Amino acid sequence: MSKTINIARYNPQTDSQPQLQAFQVDSDNSTSVLDALLQVQQQDPSLGFRWSCRMAICGSCGVMVNGIPKLGCKTFLRDYPDKLTVSALAHFNVEKDLIVDMQPFLTHLAAVKPYLINAEQSSQPHRQTPAQLAKYQQFANCINCGLCYSACPQFGLNPEFLGPAAITLAQRYNLDSRDAGKAARMPELNSKNGVWGCTFVGFCSEVCPKKVDPAAAVNQGKVASASDFIISMFKP
Amino acid sequence: MNIETPGGNKQEPGPYQPVMPRTWWLQHRYFRFYMLREATVLPLLFFIGCLLYGLYCLSLGETQWQHWLAFMAKPWVVLLNLLAFAASLFHAKTFFELFPRVMPLAPPGLMIAGQWLATLLVATGLTLLLGGWL
Repeated sequence: MSKTINIARYNPQTDSQPQLQAFQVDSDNSTSVLDALLQVQQQDPSLGFRWSCRMAICGSCGVMVNGIPKLGCKTFLRDYPDKLTVSALAHFNVEKDLIVDMQPFLTHLAAVKPYLINAEQSSQPHRQTPAQLAKYQQFANCINCGLCYSACPQFGLNPEFLGPAAITLAQRYNLDSRDAGKAARMPELNSKNGVWGCTFVGFCSEVCPKKVDPAAAVNQGKVASASDFIISMFKP
Repeated sequence: MNIETPGGNKQEPGPYQPVMPRTWWLQHRYFRFYMLREATVLPLLFFIGCLLYGLYCLSLGETQWQHWLAFMAKPWVVLLNLLAFAASLFHAKTFFELFPRVMPLAPPGLMIAGQWLATLLVATGLTLLLGGWL
């Protein structure tokens, strides 16, 4: 079955803003948006987009499908019987066609030190009980696809806002029993571009392809930030 | 790289910097629902204004107090306060559903039921107390 797919094209050399271009693709019940984009690339090799694993684990193929952030590989043409418009992820600068500059996201991610910081240097394994694992496991499923940033109006309005995924990862490591880096992360989370920049719109959790629930993590971060502030008042 | 500068009319080749329109919240059902949740504060402001006005009238004496009681019984005031009540219930519903995600102390269903039960108990208790039945 042939289907029309509209793609927002942008050539940085010639265009001032993205323009929609219609393509015809063959689609059946299992055709994903990524499959469709690969078909379009056969017709027009100049189409630029990112992809890698085709199984919703690499987080490369994030695009806006009818204005909603989606992974191309996890979104199917069968669910869009009417109009289908694919454009670059929102709130990021568009480099070319569907390729955005993820640098602001990566900068925010690095700012929260998203790795285990051990107080004790030991060559022994750090043991963890299932209960300790359960505290952060959900937040550890993030694949850094950036869909939550495109869903977040606060990040759109203020690109300095740390954003859902970065705060979620900060929370993920703060909750990890093997980690001793919470004190190093809290200043970022307490800042005006940290957890308090979130107004719990909650759309980040709706679009998350791994059900990480970043909105919950960010707002748990507010509780952590508030208790951090109260504890600091009683310290000399 | 300056990512804060919105634009579209660029002078030289480079990335397109998208602009977020003021009407962003009209673009999607989810954002409209969020704005509705936030807007529940507006009728509540009216209700708080009514209460403050009542307090002021009380300080002025009985005539003004009677005047305030008559004001509160006006149909449009009752209508707006009913709207404020409905908005509060709606906000409470969304708040109670979000709360277990922020402080996961117990299974979400149990926490939501517990919050409604607590609301019912406090509201009933206050009504009985203020109504002079207790």
